[in-house]
Amino acid sequence: MGPLHGYGIARRIEQSSGDEVLLNQGTIYASLVRLQQRGWIVAEWGTSDNNRRAKYYSITRSGRKQLAAETSYWQRLSAVVRRVLAPSEGGEQ
Amino acid sequence: MTLRELWCRFSGVLRRRGFDPDLENEMASHLEQAKADFLQRGKSEEEAERLARVKFGSAVAAKERVWEQRQMPAISSFLQDAQYAARRMRKSPGFTLVTVATLALGIGLCSVISSSLNGVFLRPLPGVPEPDRLAMIWAPVPYPWFENFRDRGKGLWTIAATMASAPLGVAVEGSGPERIIGAVVSPGYFATLQVQPLLGRWFDPRLEQAGGAPVAVVTERFWRTHLGADPGAIGRTLRVNGHTATIIGVGPRNFIGTVAGSLNFPEMFISVTSGATIAPELRDDVSSHSTKPLFYLLLRLAPGTSLAAAEARLDATARALANQREKKGRLIRLIPAGRLLPLNKEKLILTLGFDGALMFVILGLTCANLGGLMLARGAARGREFAIRLSIGAGRRRLIRQLLTESSILAVLGGVAGLAAAKTLFGLLSRIQTESNPLTDSLMSGPDLKVALFTFLISSLTALGFGLAPALAITRLDLVSVMKADPTAGLGRYRRLGLSNTFVVFQVAAAMVLVLIMGFFVLGARYGSKTKPGFDTAPISFFSVDPARDGLTPSESADVLRRIPKRLARLAGVGAVTLAEQPPLSSTFADTMVSVPSLKAQAVAMQKVGPGFFSALGATMLRGEDFTDQDLLSGEDSGKIVPAVINQTAATDFFGEADPLGRRIQQDQRTFQVTGVVRYAPRASFMGRPIPIMFVPLTVKDLEGDATEGTTVVIRARTQISMPVLRRELAAIDPRLTPFHSQTTPGYLAESDRVDPVDAAFGPTIGLFGVVLACFGLAGVTAQNVQRRRKEIGIRTALGAQRWQVLRLVMGECGVMVAVGASLGFAAAWAFVRVLCAASAQIALLISPVVSNRALTVGVPSLLIALAAIACYVPARRALSFDPLLALREE
Repeated sequence: MGPLHGYGIARRIEQSSGDEVLLNQGTIYASLVRLQQRGWIVAEWGTSDNNRRAKYYSITRSGRKQLAAETSYWQRLSAVVRRVLAPSEGGEQ
Repeated sequence: MTLRELWCRFSGVLRRRGFDPDLENEMASHLEQAKADFLQRGKSEEEAERLARVKFGSAVAAKERVWEQRQMPAISSFLQDAQYAARRMRKSPGFTLVTVATLALGIGLCSVISSSLNGVFLRPLPGVPEPDRLAMIWAPVPYPWFENFRDRGKGLWTIAATMASAPLGVAVEGSGPERIIGAVVSPGYFATLQVQPLLGRWFDPRLEQAGGAPVAVVTERFWRTHLGADPGAIGRTLRVNGHTATIIGVGPRNFIGTVAGSLNFPEMFISVTSGATIAPELRDDVSSHSTKPLFYLLLRLAPGTSLAAAEARLDATARALANQREKKGRLIRLIPAGRLLPLNKEKLILTLGFDGALMFVILGLTCANLGGLMLARGAARGREFAIRLSIGAGRRRLIRQLLTESSILAVLGGVAGLAAAKTLFGLLSRIQTESNPLTDSLMSGPDLKVALFTFLISSLTALGFGLAPALAITRLDLVSVMKADPTAGLGRYRRLGLSNTFVVFQVAAAMVLVLIMGFFVLGARYGSKTKPGFDTAPISFFSVDPARDGLTPSESADVLRRIPKRLARLAGVGAVTLAEQPPLSSTFADTMVSVPSLKAQAVAMQKVGPGFFSALGATMLRGEDFTDQDLLSGEDSGKIVPAVINQTAATDFFGEADPLGRRIQQDQRTFQVTGVVRYAPRASFMGRPIPIMFVPLTVKDLEGDATEGTTVVIRARTQISMPVLRRELAAIDPRLTPFHSQTTPGYLAESDRVDPVDAAFGPTIGLFGVVLACFGLAGVTAQNVQRRRKEIGIRTALGAQRWQVLRLVMGECGVMVAVGASLGFAAAWAFVRVLCAASAQIALLISPVVSNRALTVGVPSLLIALAAIACYVPARRALSFDPLLALREE
């Protein structure tokens, strides 16, 4: 996944969630600033396919590491939650 | 939050809020892309634009969020608070000025106290590496002990011995002799201090053997002032106490030696191996087999040796040496010696404790005063706070705002106070005449350590006077404040309310400051008012120190007996005699004696020559003056020594009974009273002269090594001129050099002259306390009057008389003043008790003053009178209230 501009990121979130997550697109900019401050992404001005100037964000190495860590944490957590919430297999109903 | 994020945020703070082109561009580009997307999906131009905006949400909110993300919330809101505070301060310059001035005074006083404390006691010993490893044996020990300690301390410490610093008669080629402070030290002294010479070498234990040619080491300061910073000074000779000595070394810059036995820093060092011919202190073989405890020991502890461990080891050795294995406590006390003035732990705690308590009271008073002011001001700002609270500001935020305001004031006050202290010390050092390492260090004023301390106390002060009012002010009844009830902001009157507590504390603190300062300053100064008991006009004196002019003991005793006889033959001279000290010199009652039927008494002991009292013209109330017979008598143990006491001692010891023939015991010696004289020295407490016991000088004393020489007292119509004096002395022995020649009235005037700084300091603190307390009291009274306007109006309307109204208002103040004054009095009393219990010296100094009526009754009365005036002025306003106006406010 190459560099993406803010609008692209917002769209990607909406699309990849199957339009389940519908956000005020403006709110992603504060989050982008935070991710930059933590050194997980970097930004650069560039030109889009349709020849418009836009600021492109790309993930850094420490960002990837963080993503991997967060992803595995989330998977563990959701697995635990799923297990807890799953109907028990024996005994009580 | 990671460090990197913190830094990004912090630098974000410095960026100003407002138009951010980068963000604007990015958002515009976002909207365009969204619009293009919608256009592609077949929306109309207008619809696409609208949908893009709807999708984006509030652009303002988005910007706001980015902004917040970039900021450090605490700092930015602090900056807001600070800006707001600065605006408010500019708006009321009067309030700001008064507050900052009060703080500057309070903090400045503390800065002065801490600078002098730092300058005298806390600075590390200059010019010496690793001063923290130095330690000192507090009380002097005999020389053999030193050798023993040295031999047993291999690997644990290096050790050096030094005698109490004392004058040396030093003459540089081409000029007359001058008295220079010197120190007799063991050869290893400099090696123990680990200092390197600027020029030449130090004493060397292998080269400096007993009986060798005398050599001297001088400080860099002496080298500059007396040898013209001569690079070839090594090998030059000096006359030291009348004998030739060669300079072998010059100390490094900044090195000032160490103090022992006195507060004088030496400028010249003589080795103990030099022998008694050059240093009279070394007579009687004190540096070989003597048991006389004359040597102070300086240790450098090896790494890994603790002070306590070294002390234990030294103590065990000393016990074996003194054959006192059973004795309780410690024979040897070791104290850290890495500071300018080494103090034992008790004295250090006492000094720090006293000054700390003083600073605490001063700052407490400042806080209470400003706290009251802040409360009153907060009341006036009630509406402002009510509005801020009702539109959603948290109480926390308001408290933070108020604390920010007080912090800014305190920092301003602290900076001003520190600057004032710095300036004060700068001025003082310019007018100060004598220069020695101690005064130089004192006069250098606040250093970085003091500045940091000042900053610390400023911050504490900010909290002290800001927090309680901030808590009280923000506890508002919003409805009544918003309804513009003029008294709402003031809160309900409470007897134990914050503002009253502040006033009580201020009165108490002022009382403590005035009493304590009174005890120490006035008490010790009362002495100069005493009448000597005889006419001092014809009396003059000078000193000679034959031992330091190079005379042998027997020559010395001989010339000292001839001087009075020869001078008495001069025209116009009535009588000439000898004494240990100048007549009427101030002295301490520091010798404990006992009289049968009485417990131990403190008395000052002075040695005087034959005919001393008749030469002065002092009245013998009973008995006889000393005679030549007394001078000639030796001082065998067991022999009864005649003593003349002054009238204070006579009353103290014997009351109404006849003192003649009575016995007085001191240690192993017995004295018998042979006379009572009317004689009041300069040292006295609250008008009562110090008790003195005079004992006769003996031939042994005249041979001796008295470090201040011997005083020759002359009664003459006109003072003998210096040339005549020199001629007469030269006729007796050409080596004699007189010094300290003075008339007694001149001497008394000089000793009565109080250092203007010392004189100003105590009263300044006292005045500061009183003024602050009075203003605080007046402020609170004014506020209380304002609060009770309606009540007073109704009472006046119902026919209350002026005095009844006045009593109503003043009564409240009266209670506060009475409570504050009693608390303050009790606190001062307890403080003095603690001090007296902690230090016998202080007890001696102030115990006679503690019971003095002028201070213990006069000061509180004065304070209460001033407090009454401070209440009356604002209370008078209550009388002028128009009852109609007061009632119409409803």
